[in-house]
Amino acid sequence: MHHDNGIWVGTEDLMRDEAFAQSSQSEFSVENIDQTDGKWTASRRDFLKLMGFGLGAATIAASCEIPVKKAIPYVTKPDEIVPGVANYFASSFVDGGDYCAILVKTREGRPIKIEGNTLSNVTMGGTSARAQASVLSLYDTRRIQNAGKVKEGQVEKMEWAAIDREVKAKLAEGGNVRIITNTLISPTAMKALGEFRTKYPNTTVVSYDPVSASALLEANEKCFGHRAFPHYKFDEASVICSFGADFLGTWGNPVKNATLYAKGRKVAGKKGAKMSRHYQVEGYMSLTGSNADNRIQIRPSEMGAAIASLYGELSGNGGGPKLNDKAAGAIKKMAKDLQAARGKSIVVSGSNNVAEQILVNRINDLLGNLNNTVDFGAQYFGRSGDERQVGKLIEEMNGGQVSMVIVWGANPSWDLPNSAAFNTAFAKVGTRVSLNTNMDETTLLCTHAAPAHHYLESWGDALPQVGQLSLIQPTIAPLFATRQAEHSLLVWADSAALKADSEQPYYEYVKENWQNNLGAGQSKYLTKDAFWEMSLHDGVYAIPVQPITAVFDTTVSVDVNAVSKPSSSEVEVSFYETVNIGGGQYAHNPWLQEMPDPVTRTVWGNYLSIPLEWDGVNNIDGWKGLVDGDEVEVEVNGQKFTCAVVRNFGQAAGTVSIALGGGRTAGGCGVGYGVNVNPCLKQDNGLTQYYAADVVVKPTGGKDKDFACVQHHHTMGVKAMGKEEGKVINADEKTLGYKGFQGSLTDRSIIFQTNIKDLQKLENKLEAFHHEAEHLNSQTLYPDNVEYFGTGLKWGMYVDLNSCIGCGACQVACVSENNVPVVGKKEVARHHEMTWLRIDRYFYGDLENPKVVYQPMMCQHCDNAPCENVCPVNATNHSMEGLNQMAYNRCIGTRYCANNCPYKVRRFNWLDYTTADLWPSNEERVFHVEGEDKPYYADNLVRMVLNPDVTVRTRGVIEKCSFCVQRIQEGKLTAKREGRAIMDNDVRTACQTACPTGAIVFGDLNNPNSEVSQANKAAGALAYKVLEEINVRPGVQYSAKIHNANEELFS
Amino acid sequence: MSQPVAAVRHILIEGNKSYHNITEDLCSPTEKSPSREWIIAFSLSTVFLGLYVFAIVWTVWKGIGEWGANRSINWAWDITNFVWWIGIGHAGTLISAILLLFRQRWRTGVNRAAEAMTIFAVICAGQFPIFHMGRVWLAFFIMPFPNTRGPLWTNFNSPLLWDVFAISTYFSVSLLFWYTGLVPDLATVRDRAKGFRKKMYETFSFGWTGSAKHWQRWEALSLVLAGISTPLVLSVHTIVSFDFATSVVPGWHTTIFPPYFVAGAIFSGFAMVQTLMVITRKVLRLEQYITINHIESMNKVIVLTGTIVGVAYLTELFIAWYSGYIYEQFAFYNRVFGIYWWSYFGMMFCNVVAPQVFWARSIRRSIWWTFFLSIIINIGMWFERFVIIATTLARDFLPSSWSYYRPTWVEIAIFTGTIGLFFFCYLIFCRVAPVVAIAEVKSILKVAGDQYIGPNAKHGHGEKTHHH
Repeated sequence: MHHDNGIWVGTEDLMRDEAFAQSSQSEFSVENIDQTDGKWTASRRDFLKLMGFGLGAATIAASCEIPVKKAIPYVTKPDEIVPGVANYFASSFVDGGDYCAILVKTREGRPIKIEGNTLSNVTMGGTSARAQASVLSLYDTRRIQNAGKVKEGQVEKMEWAAIDREVKAKLAEGGNVRIITNTLISPTAMKALGEFRTKYPNTTVVSYDPVSASALLEANEKCFGHRAFPHYKFDEASVICSFGADFLGTWGNPVKNATLYAKGRKVAGKKGAKMSRHYQVEGYMSLTGSNADNRIQIRPSEMGAAIASLYGELSGNGGGPKLNDKAAGAIKKMAKDLQAARGKSIVVSGSNNVAEQILVNRINDLLGNLNNTVDFGAQYFGRSGDERQVGKLIEEMNGGQVSMVIVWGANPSWDLPNSAAFNTAFAKVGTRVSLNTNMDETTLLCTHAAPAHHYLESWGDALPQVGQLSLIQPTIAPLFATRQAEHSLLVWADSAALKADSEQPYYEYVKENWQNNLGAGQSKYLTKDAFWEMSLHDGVYAIPVQPITAVFDTTVSVDVNAVSKPSSSEVEVSFYETVNIGGGQYAHNPWLQEMPDPVTRTVWGNYLSIPLEWDGVNNIDGWKGLVDGDEVEVEVNGQKFTCAVVRNFGQAAGTVSIALGGGRTAGGCGVGYGVNVNPCLKQDNGLTQYYAADVVVKPTGGKDKDFACVQHHHTMGVKAMGKEEGKVINADEKTLGYKGFQGSLTDRSIIFQTNIKDLQKLENKLEAFHHEAEHLNSQTLYPDNVEYFGTGLKWGMYVDLNSCIGCGACQVACVSENNVPVVGKKEVARHHEMTWLRIDRYFYGDLENPKVVYQPMMCQHCDNAPCENVCPVNATNHSMEGLNQMAYNRCIGTRYCANNCPYKVRRFNWLDYTTADLWPSNEERVFHVEGEDKPYYADNLVRMVLNPDVTVRTRGVIEKCSFCVQRIQEGKLTAKREGRAIMDNDVRTACQTACPTGAIVFGDLNNPNSEVSQANKAAGALAYKVLEEINVRPGVQYSAKIHNANEELFS
Repeated sequence: MSQPVAAVRHILIEGNKSYHNITEDLCSPTEKSPSREWIIAFSLSTVFLGLYVFAIVWTVWKGIGEWGANRSINWAWDITNFVWWIGIGHAGTLISAILLLFRQRWRTGVNRAAEAMTIFAVICAGQFPIFHMGRVWLAFFIMPFPNTRGPLWTNFNSPLLWDVFAISTYFSVSLLFWYTGLVPDLATVRDRAKGFRKKMYETFSFGWTGSAKHWQRWEALSLVLAGISTPLVLSVHTIVSFDFATSVVPGWHTTIFPPYFVAGAIFSGFAMVQTLMVITRKVLRLEQYITINHIESMNKVIVLTGTIVGVAYLTELFIAWYSGYIYEQFAFYNRVFGIYWWSYFGMMFCNVVAPQVFWARSIRRSIWWTFFLSIIINIGMWFERFVIIATTLARDFLPSSWSYYRPTWVEIAIFTGTIGLFFFCYLIFCRVAPVVAIAEVKSILKVAGDQYIGPNAKHGHGEKTHHH
């Protein structure tokens, strides 16, 4: 079209060609289309072309995998939910006596991750593996989904109103009511129980713990008038002595203990650094013992004698049972150390014998620790149960005196030493109501199930430590037709205070209690509403408390002869609680089951730890010639069980040990793993004893085909007396290659360790090592890429081996954050575990009584990464910011990268672990909960725990630690949106935030002020890279393990 | 003729053959009904091929987790078998190309079968890198071609990519070379055939008429292909050795690998040729074409390469000690005395000690010894690859990750299945094409056969009486 303004298009336009003018009028050009007589025709070729294209397109479109979407839009979108943006709610993880102040990360209304709450004075921002894993139990497919009558292992559904009527009718009959719980630390729940008791005065609460601390509580009550754990200032103590108390793993308040303990032991970067000295006197190697500077090995039955002998040394009042000479000599020397640190030492004991605990209290008193490092002003209520009450209850039930039992969170049908007696007596009770969340062993024996919410669906509170209030708030609407336990009790009690008609009656109840009772005296906030709102926001509220000066009551008899008597039997056994599955209450959590035990490195079940023997020449053999996975029959206290053995360097000769918590028989995925050893426990004066003498261990000749241990090689230079040499030699080098069990070289540049008195020597050694490595690494033909990473961001990590206690919280946090699949026992047995972060454990030092170093090992994000150059398809490559990246979609699974990784941190999806393929036939070998057809991850309920920011990997691809790249991305976006440089707080990896001891520091290496740069700088020569000399240039620095052993102890 | 003339080798064609006899003898296996031995062997191969297909479908369907490999030992039987087969595939090209260039006439008796063996061995080898992939359906990602995914290119730094090029090139060139040699012989078969067979061979012989121009072009092409193949004999296994040598894993990261791998490949290739030839000459009655002299020549190559391999093994040990580098030292200590010590000693015995018996002429010329040792060497060379791969990965830098490997039934089925695949192909080959190159044998009849008429004829090698 010719325009009047002189603009023209082409010569035809300019020349005002007729045909052009005509054609430009019509909107669609028909020039190039084949036309015959103005009719549309298609030639045979066109037809074939179109048909071919059509068929092809349809085939391609039909065969593409189209994801099944089940998104349902909100009718009314909640204000606080923005898709893709996480919300954090402050809450508290409470399970029996376990407590952790947490932040719950929710995405699109689903809780997916637990973080520590730094505002808490009780856990100080740290977490435990149990707290980290607790989010998974919310999505447990085996939860009871509605109330009802229990019949043949099933819940016959009833409306809540109906069950309420039945229970109330029974209660109205006026018989004796017993409520069985584990430790209860909720003040509002106590109030609710109070109301219940007011209504039904024949009610008694029976509270016990699967692993008991009754003796300690009783001793403290007797000696000081406080039935609680004191606050132990492990950071201020210069000498710590633990008689079998696993205070870093399971005893007292382990998260806080670990935090403070690590503070007293950080050495790197401190001139003239001092660290505490930790003695552990124990009969098996606990997590705490593995961190000790000196372990004094005793037989479990000698614990009383050991405590008595220390008391004798300190008080001058000898006597008591005789301890073996070696240990007695060591205790004598330890006593000197303790005396030298008067007022600055701590003595603790895990014993469940009142006389022994009284001795320990007296020892602390004699050492002047009381009110210094042992402070009752901040006492802890974590474990307050008393198993003797259960004994009484059994008698009452047998006598027909109890008409109703309400079980609330406890599992007495399984986790008591006398569960069999309990079950017989329990059957005689008319009405047995369970408030438990799963169909566990006890609920199976109940008449009614009134399932409680998971804590992430609940309102509630906790008072774990005096003055330290803590709130629990729901982070998701209840998934099932369950009801808050306290709510049920209040309904049954016809509570007037419960506004039963309101939307969330127990919320109102908790709020009312906080505003009017618990926070009545608060003056921090002007209004009650502000107090509530702010406490809810923070998750915790600290009430100022008066300091307490505890005084040892001198009327208490301190009797060295009342302690337990050593046995002279050939073999003794210790039963212990593990950091993962506890006394069995966490056995149904697959994340915890698949988290290796820190010391034995086994998963999915409990195994009998047996000692190793060195023949002085070439062989380090298992006791009785047993090897890992061999089955034995163990006879203890008249009970027999069969289990597999694991050879364990820390296990003293003549002793064996096995964890509690295995062999659950009902209620979830832990069924069928391990053996139940509870029946083997004996009670002494009603108190459960976690050891036994007169143990008979007989090899059956069988083998556990699926013996699942993630680490087969354990030592890094253990020393022992060589027979031929007649002097102490390096046993590792002598056993090199023999039988494939031992045999490593000890000069490997993986672990560096020394005694603190030789710190300077180690620094010199490391200096020389760095120099040598630099020299070797400079002999390359390739241009250095250091310049390349010199600008912008450069992500790096620093791991302080001296702070790492091996608790495993980081590992579970990583699994949770990064959707790392659970593979099950059989697959772990084949070394197919998928963990991105593992904690390697190496023994060093004396072969019979070794020390331990834990080394968190994750992708080292090498700047000269050997995995990257070998991938044929560029599926793994390096980012500008120093990240070693995985493009899962590009990976074809040649696994060369995994072979070429010197750190062996790359994980291959051998099978369809996440059920991403939608092929039912290849799901047979992936993890199934016993008795379920569908694989674990095929259940949409379980999949709710997946982090939507992290790709779920399919079969056949490699995966590995990404330095939590999704968090980095989020942090960068935040900084960018706020128009500022990125700061340390913007990006913290999951392992870093989970760690209670601050062992992991992450950040920008190019920023000299970042925490990680500062940490690296401070560590100086002590910081090293694992395998520094092979020129892969890792982005992770470790700082050497320093111990403070008393070298003279056994000389 | 003052020029010295080298003494003629042993007679390479026995039995006073005429050209017609040769045609008759060599074409007849393709024309007769299959023998009972052939039918039994073929059925057995088909069964194993079926097993192979089943095990591969199983692997792809269920996942690599059906194998025994694990987080530390990510390669095991798969790559062991790959390198083993690739090694076997080396004799063919060596015989066809290098021996052609060196004018070694004895090659004519065995080159056809050796080349066929090469091709089938490479086919077997190729199965492993493909099916060891976690996501085999995306195997095409390793081909560099313009694409809409970015475009995303392959990583030219990766030895696995070099493998792709090396092996595909080797396969194409070997196939071409083999087929080029086959053309005149297929024409010979065609000329004797009738009906459908004639039509078929007509197509496959590309209208060969035997004109002088055809022969001239054929000679030229053969020489060019021989020229191209010669570096491939050295390069393919060199590149395969790079799969290990360019890594950082102690025990893999060694500069000795390329020559050591090539020698090992020729060693195992010749052993496999011996295994096949000893059976083939008997079953197809070709003793007069594949003579004891041929077998002896190949045994000489075996004892030479076996000894080179032995020296390489010892050099590795020495260098590991001499390096002063503890990881290297440990890797080799572990190879010898570690968990898989039996495979190291198996390797040492089969590859280094056993072939030394070939220094004795009588053993070199014994059919039974040759056959027995060829099997021993095949086993030894399999052990060598297993030692390099599994033993090394089982004990690398971090003791925490050390592990142990044992195969599952799936891996055993795949390996034995590829042997089925190999013999399946080879047996079909025996039935459709002359297993000895007719034209080439004819070309040496007068210069190296028992009808030799050249300058050295009087020295006695041409006497007919020797062989009756």
